[in-house]
Amino acid sequence: MSTTPGTTAKFIGASVRRLEDPRVLLGRTRYVDDVRLPNCLSIAFARSKFAHARIFSVDCEAARRAPGVHAVLVASDLEGLLPVLRVEHDPAVPVPPCRTVLWPVLASGKTRFVGEAIAAVVADSRALAEDAAALIKIEYQELDPVIDLERAAAPGSPLVHDEWPDNIFQHVEVSLGDVEDAFRRADLVVSESFRTGRHLALPMEGRGIAASWDGATQTLTVWASTQMLFVLRAEIGRILNLPEHAIRVISTDVGGGFGLKAHVFPEELMVPALARRLDRPVEWIEDRREHLAASQHAKDQIVRAELALAKDGTMLGLRTHVMCDIGAYTEYPWRTFEANVTAMAMPGPYKIRAYAYDTLSIATNKCSVGAYRGVGQPIGVMVLERLIDIAARQLHIDRAELRLRNMIATDEHPYQGIHGLEIESGSHRESLLKALQMIDAGGIAKRQSESRLRGRRRGLGMASYIEMTAPSTQLWQALGPAGSGSQPAMIRMETDGTVTVAIGTNTQGQSHETTFAQIAADRLGLPMSAVRVVQGDTSSTPRGWFVGGSNSAVTTGGAVLRAAEMVRANLLRAVSLMNEIPFANLDLRDSFICMKDDGARITSIADAANATWLKKMNIPPDEDLTLEITARYEPPPATHSNASHVAEVEVDIETGQVEILRYVVVEDCGTILNPMVVDGQIQGGVAQGIGSVLYEEIIYDNQGRLLTTNLTDYLAPTAAVVPTVEIAHIETPSPYTLGGMKGMGEGGTIAPPAAIANAIAHALDEFSPRVNRIPLTPERILAIIDRAV
Amino acid sequence: MNQPRDRVSVTFELNGLKVEREIPVRQLLVDFLRDDLGLTATRVGCEQGVCGSCTVMLDGVSVRSCLMFAVQVDGSEVRTVEGLAHGAVMHPLQQAFWDNHALQCGFCTSGFLMTALDLIEHRAEPDDKEIRNALSGNLCRCTGYANIVTAVQVALAQKR
Repeated sequence: MSTTPGTTAKFIGASVRRLEDPRVLLGRTRYVDDVRLPNCLSIAFARSKFAHARIFSVDCEAARRAPGVHAVLVASDLEGLLPVLRVEHDPAVPVPPCRTVLWPVLASGKTRFVGEAIAAVVADSRALAEDAAALIKIEYQELDPVIDLERAAAPGSPLVHDEWPDNIFQHVEVSLGDVEDAFRRADLVVSESFRTGRHLALPMEGRGIAASWDGATQTLTVWASTQMLFVLRAEIGRILNLPEHAIRVISTDVGGGFGLKAHVFPEELMVPALARRLDRPVEWIEDRREHLAASQHAKDQIVRAELALAKDGTMLGLRTHVMCDIGAYTEYPWRTFEANVTAMAMPGPYKIRAYAYDTLSIATNKCSVGAYRGVGQPIGVMVLERLIDIAARQLHIDRAELRLRNMIATDEHPYQGIHGLEIESGSHRESLLKALQMIDAGGIAKRQSESRLRGRRRGLGMASYIEMTAPSTQLWQALGPAGSGSQPAMIRMETDGTVTVAIGTNTQGQSHETTFAQIAADRLGLPMSAVRVVQGDTSSTPRGWFVGGSNSAVTTGGAVLRAAEMVRANLLRAVSLMNEIPFANLDLRDSFICMKDDGARITSIADAANATWLKKMNIPPDEDLTLEITARYEPPPATHSNASHVAEVEVDIETGQVEILRYVVVEDCGTILNPMVVDGQIQGGVAQGIGSVLYEEIIYDNQGRLLTTNLTDYLAPTAAVVPTVEIAHIETPSPYTLGGMKGMGEGGTIAPPAAIANAIAHALDEFSPRVNRIPLTPERILAIIDRAV
Repeated sequence: MNQPRDRVSVTFELNGLKVEREIPVRQLLVDFLRDDLGLTATRVGCEQGVCGSCTVMLDGVSVRSCLMFAVQVDGSEVRTVEGLAHGAVMHPLQQAFWDNHALQCGFCTSGFLMTALDLIEHRAEPDDKEIRNALSGNLCRCTGYANIVTAVQVALAQKR
């Protein structure tokens, strides 16, 4: 069901069609590569062929003489242009300490991963730049590569960064509750070691940036494909030594981000630096090979975990040891938080009162690992949910029953979470029970027999989680990337009664232009057609932070609500003065100011807005009744959405192929702004989760050579393998956020590895399978079966 | 000895209009559409024919414009997303994509529209599996495909 924009129904909670769609469908978008700057030069990079090698010489003579080439740069040419980037511990914020990483914009002295940029060619076109880059001769001496995660962490390993004593970027140790005692009291301890594949966000639009320097005003305009235009602007200012006010970053249409574009990359600093130096527009549009080799990978971890339980299934304690392969340079400018998020995703909805974890983030000669939808949460959830299934089998307790016995009950909220964050509300048991009912979990044995008759094995797997959404300033600091959790919104009611909403972030497809218009339209009694959301331009929006951590509905949504309430109040006060009607008796409805009790119309919102701006009638000239207000909203210290996923799969034990027969999600993200959009986020998130558990893996050989350099080697799931997810909602509004929203953009991605791995283990139960490594490719499924036979 | 020519004169029909150009022989069709003609709805996603973002219709059949040289369209008829709507009135496929939330970031959408156009113009009553297989040559990273499949079903039902 779609509600057509233009009516004044209640929009919050309605499946309003998206306002951003017509321009996309008609082909009139402004992705970076759609921007056409006159006389624009294009960059291509010469990138390292080796994982770890000394660079002896870089001969650029032939490249400099090639047709259409304007400049060729190597590391030594960057002096005075671009400094080496530093990722370092900031003692001013309470983040876990880490080693300082020096990240040269062009590799200097040695190269640390295949694909690292060594030289940059600026030419009239990308084709000419690539032609010239191919003429660059680089002399290397190969060094022992640091590839295997466990060996990289061990003493005596070759070093990725020569100035470090080892390859350990960060080591965090945390013990909560009496863990020793919990394990001493346990009747059963189950343990397993897990390995998760390296994969990546893979937005369909890769990275890209264009920049133009205006010598007359000494200002820089940047078009970027980013999730954080204000952070990028600040970094460009800092690195190029330009005042931020002289930089405008535009990022109106972004072809997917999923966390990958919530970083600043060396290429994104080089382009504006060169545009300024050459006084010509310059662009760099990443190709897919560069994207797979040198953008940002994710989730390459080894996790060892132990769960202690009593005979009756009570979960007593948990220990985890997380190792994350963060690649050569970690994530700029955030340090790293992948491993810590994995650890903090446990114990999720389960009432475990003793938990010890330690995380090791280890440098290797690979592309850096950074944020990708859910960050470490999909791994943490898979680890705990697999352990629960293993425990249930050994305790002879039904898998669902074991979970239900340990879950936080609705009436136990607010529940003091073990990580020190209050879990405000939730529907953990309800969501699991509903999901099991939807998939008819009781009938699984019968369906398994039917599959068996066809020579296949069927299984059902479940997983529940709590997602830490809309991180506050406090939570961002605890996780690692120090920054503000608050977001702004500016609302201006124009003199014709239409409304401009300007937000401080930009969209990568999450429907911000629609959902935030829904909020403003509802609070201001206007139709959707009267509201326009402006986003993605630092010159016309208030200063925001970034899109990530499922924050926008809560933070930007809260700011829109707050600003709308303030504009609403000023408009009503003006009408109250003009018409001598008590403020409290007035309401906004269907484009009119009306009496609250009987709905009698006083004046149109358009006339009221006009009169307010022009200070007509009885409004004293010095009365501050502005209809242009910027508000900020800092979310509560923690906000938590929850969900249960249940998957039913069939495994072909001859080929190792897995087919997902049904996939059910019951989720609770508090107040739902737009169910169509929420369902779309879940379906898309589950598809990415399916990719991570069954198909996607970045593979390096033991010399650090990248084997997955294109989209035939790196398998992203297609329409042929992703089922239509069956979705139900439970709506438990947050008692603490404005509007009750909790945030859910990343949620769909978090549980598929757990639910599907559990379903596969269930299907292969007769083989006593160890399902502990993802992706579960056909080869790995066959190996699991063969080991047992 | 003949010098290899680096530009060739090409005539073809694009979205119903005749185009005559001198085109560099090594220029890809997608780059010609985007860079020379300013038709940026057709997108470059992988330059390898896998992701389908660059799909256009060539003589009534969907093709990958990143795997073709522009000069190959000489004498042919090319359709891109810019030629789908009649003014502001969307093609039934575009309308179905809008009505069913079949796009999020939108980067892959043009490619899906052209692949789906090929399907609905050539197949009378494809079932769900056939639709999914037809769409499986296009990658979308946002939607998880379900709403794209629905949109194509709706557009097909309207055609019947």
